[in-house]
Amino acid sequence: MSGPRRIAVTGFGAVSGLGADAAETWDAVRQGRSGIALRAFEGGQYAPEPVTFPAALAADGFQGRLEAAMGRKISAGLDRFALFALCAAYEALDQAGLVGDPVLAERTAVVLGHGQGGQESLEKGYERFFGMKSQRMHPAMVPKVMVSGGVSAVAMQFGVHGPVFATSSACASSAHAIVQGAGLIQSGLAEVAVVGGSEAIATPGSMAGWQAIHALAETTCRPFSQGRDGMVMGEGGAVLVLEDMDRARARGAPILGEYLGAGMTSDAFHITQPSLEGTSAAIRQACAAGDLLSQEEVLVSAHGTGTPLNDENEAAALNAVFAGSAARRPVIATKSAHGHLIGGSAALQTVIALQALRAGQAPPVQNFLEPDPACVVDVVVGQARPITARHALLNAFAFGGLNVSMAFAAAA
Amino acid sequence: MSVTEPELLDLIAQEAIIDREKLQRDATLGDLGISSLDVITMLFELEERYGVVIEEADMPKMETLGEMVDFLMQRINEQPAKS
Repeated sequence: MSGPRRIAVTGFGAVSGLGADAAETWDAVRQGRSGIALRAFEGGQYAPEPVTFPAALAADGFQGRLEAAMGRKISAGLDRFALFALCAAYEALDQAGLVGDPVLAERTAVVLGHGQGGQESLEKGYERFFGMKSQRMHPAMVPKVMVSGGVSAVAMQFGVHGPVFATSSACASSAHAIVQGAGLIQSGLAEVAVVGGSEAIATPGSMAGWQAIHALAETTCRPFSQGRDGMVMGEGGAVLVLEDMDRARARGAPILGEYLGAGMTSDAFHITQPSLEGTSAAIRQACAAGDLLSQEEVLVSAHGTGTPLNDENEAAALNAVFAGSAARRPVIATKSAHGHLIGGSAALQTVIALQALRAGQAPPVQNFLEPDPACVVDVVVGQARPITARHALLNAFAFGGLNVSMAFAAAA
Repeated sequence: MSVTEPELLDLIAQEAIIDREKLQRDATLGDLGISSLDVITMLFELEERYGVVIEEADMPKMETLGEMVDFLMQRINEQPAKS
């Protein structure tokens, strides 16, 4: 009897405040460049006065490469969150050499995670309803707002007829999507899975909501540092092409890394506070799936939001799981560069972690001031650090206590 | 507020995401890929810009772009000018 199917990563794509593709994103994080800047959020004539927050927003024109290749028939009708997903999916499928391949129609799944869906379209629609008191809403509002708008756009653009659905678990949404996509391959329901996620909730109404729970930093994102005061909102998306390893090798596809397995837990505890037990259990499961504790070095891409609570809990969880392991574990926290993409974060961090393993460099945590005695982990600061790790651990811990940890390996 | 045929074709190209040069009068709506959602999106924009309310259900059955353009221009341009 053979073991479970091995899962190769054969393509990836990314859009964020750091750039319009995966290579630009990697260059920026490796060099310690940030996409975070102070932004004014202006909600229009029915809104209160604009507020200013640090945020990492994607530059205009990020969809240029997609639209030059595929036209605008599908992309032009999308909310920003779905457009991020579609752009990243095109880059990933193009890299995998699968655009136009018959496998897309026959044996492919699309699973993308989003915390919220078409927030910009919702706010514009509600401005008409509650502000202008108009009963007539834009006819595209519902399809733009629905959280499955992204996966439907990817399926329509590339002709995917297999299992297609969205996952939603706040900040862990795209991590759940990656695990579900891998599972569809391992269960035989698909041979290829287009997985990842995106988010575009840096909108005036949404930012006021995030302000209300005191989650947003007033200065910038400083994961694991003393003086950290919260997360910074980002936006964008990232997509990976997962593929049955034997199939990928047989067709000579680029092997960019391997998905080894994951842990998924629920704290069942509090809607915003993390739990040491829940997060540790997810990390422990992922470490077992990827045999991480016996490695000499493991690159840890932390959830690392820069909130006081998350980083202290995450450091404790990592130390609890790795107690007794001799593995060096350099910790990176790239939300300090691209902000928090909520549903898109885990996928973007996966794209970055796989490039870090390939380059043998751990990108620095930015904006770090001083070590925090409450977060005793080996934080990579200053500049990119040379690493020999062939394995990565990646955490995504969501509001509501929904935890996913994933284990990846560099391409053999 | 009146509309000219080129203005109307610009709006159709924008709302139905079709290359402007493909919008020939004898092209059929099916060939152009203009769906029901495209039509109601177009009608929404016409209301926004020209203040004319046209329900999709009131539109006669039409085959070609020319027929649709003639119908829409007649309905828009018969409206009394807004003060």
